[in-house]
Amino acid sequence: MIRVKVGQLLRLPSVLSEMGYRVIVPTESNGVTKFADFATDSGIDLHYVRAINAPRDFLLPDGEKLFSYRSTATVTSYGLKIRFPTVEGPCPVTINAEYTAPSGRIAFFAIHPCHANSIRYLDSVMLSDPADPYYRARRDGMLTVVMECEEGDDHCFCVPAESWELEEGYCDILVRRSGDGFLLQPRSEAGKKAASRLEAQEELGSIKERPPKMRTSFRIHASEEDIDRGEAKGIDSCTLCAACTVTCPTCYCSDIEDRFHLVDPSNVERVRKRMSCQRRCYSMIAGGNIFLKTKEDRYRWRLKHKFPFSSKAFGISGCVGCGNCIAFCPAGIDMRRTVGRGTNK
Amino acid sequence: MKAEENPYVPKSATVVAVKNESLETKTLRIRLYNWKAEFQPGQFVQLLLPGVGEAPFCIASSPSDQKHMDLTIIRRGLVTIASHYMRPGDVVGIRGPFGRPFPVSRIVGKDLLIVGTGIGIAALRSLILFLVEHREDYGELNLLYGARFPEDLVYRDEMKYWAEKMNLKVTLSKASPEWGGLRGRVTDHLDGVVKGKGQVAILCGSPLVMRSISGELLERGLKADQIFVSLERHMKCGIGKCARCLIPGGWHVCKDGPVFSLDEISLEAIGD
Repeated sequence: MIRVKVGQLLRLPSVLSEMGYRVIVPTESNGVTKFADFATDSGIDLHYVRAINAPRDFLLPDGEKLFSYRSTATVTSYGLKIRFPTVEGPCPVTINAEYTAPSGRIAFFAIHPCHANSIRYLDSVMLSDPADPYYRARRDGMLTVVMECEEGDDHCFCVPAESWELEEGYCDILVRRSGDGFLLQPRSEAGKKAASRLEAQEELGSIKERPPKMRTSFRIHASEEDIDRGEAKGIDSCTLCAACTVTCPTCYCSDIEDRFHLVDPSNVERVRKRMSCQRRCYSMIAGGNIFLKTKEDRYRWRLKHKFPFSSKAFGISGCVGCGNCIAFCPAGIDMRRTVGRGTNK
Repeated sequence: MKAEENPYVPKSATVVAVKNESLETKTLRIRLYNWKAEFQPGQFVQLLLPGVGEAPFCIASSPSDQKHMDLTIIRRGLVTIASHYMRPGDVVGIRGPFGRPFPVSRIVGKDLLIVGTGIGIAALRSLILFLVEHREDYGELNLLYGARFPEDLVYRDEMKYWAEKMNLKVTLSKASPEWGGLRGRVTDHLDGVVKGKGQVAILCGSPLVMRSISGELLERGLKADQIFVSLERHMKCGIGKCARCLIPGGWHVCKDGPVFSLDEISLEAIGD
């Protein structure tokens, strides 16, 4: 364990950058905290409780290009008139996918334990067989500097969600505020290497993560029946803006689409876009039939995907208790009323 | 990472024949180049039309020919409408096959009831052709096919060959006066084909019809683990990463389905 001053801790992103990492830091912009690529003039916010985006936006970026190919089709205008040039001969033109795997290592600086656990959830989804090659390439060699929370705000519930503890591999350096400085506990070789480059004071002992102070306390009951029966008060005022899924650090639903270049329509890119279960097209099948028809259906669906479906399919809860879906909801919908039981919720 | 290891990259294939099945439906016969698809009845593939997009379709041809696959496509959305413009020789991309097939080896020797409605029959054709080829391994075969209008019927020319091997009933819910066959919904014609306990039922069609038939079959004494449904969702990735095909119970239709037995899922999971 080492003790550093604020100035030294703020040097850590540039140290990581020198070590070859792409460093993501929490920065303040327009009154909210947002993770962004580190630049030397980044105003790093060490005191944030809530960030508007999450490590997910860097590990699974929205609009990620999967590959591009030359299409043999020509698209004529005036509606949907597509002509596929016929190819003569035994083995015609093939679809040659051109793509480059994402390269480089990524480092997250000063993320919270809930963020680290959201990466753990994304791992269990994306790396389960067959693994997603794009996610794996981004995630390999990742380094995380986890900053402990002392106290959550009104919306936090990581203690009831049991996501304040850190599994091995999801924290390379643990940071705790102590007096006017910080205590750093490297937990892996890469973390030790990075920490050794700081001017620090050695201290005896070691620190382990501890639960932050919570303003609410309740127990989560989230089986499918619990969610179906649970109260959904205020859901009428939902505007289906999808802020809950956009800011959620574990929402990963996606859409895959082909985009062709307007000038050269034979140049096609296949991209993966983020999709939200609050949207109508999420559950639409051919012919326009949709399975999630009402706001209430979609609200309960999101909770079911977070709790029972994730537990069943991946053996891990999909909610890390960050409270972003409550804090950023313009209609003030609080999912704790549906899944929380017990005191003071 | 090589292209072959990337599950998102399609393999090349060409359309070798196009058959008009009905006003809205065409069957594309697709030939695979330099690769074989080891598929089983009930599995699906992602068909890529270059420059248009990708959509999932159940394979509608016999698994004994693994160099070709038939996809029966009804005009509904962007990809399906574009696929009706395809001509022999056109290049397409195929990803797959994906999913869990019909349990053909587990139901050997059993009496089968197959119910298909609308374009759902396309997902069952692979199974039907498999059963026709392996007729002696199975007990009594009943096929109930329902559609709305006479012009919606697909595989009309093949039906007479199927009828030689199994008891085939075709019913139309909105038949024209000159229609000489059965009239009404498939649920009206379950008498005589449902044998009760010991029979295996396989359903594919619109969600509401599947739900009502499942309820009816359960009432008539079939066990939930002997009723199999093939579900439709708009799978985007096919490997369980996009979560677009989740159904109640936490199943991914692309990985765990599209074939489910009714003891695995609730009737609500079929959808409405």
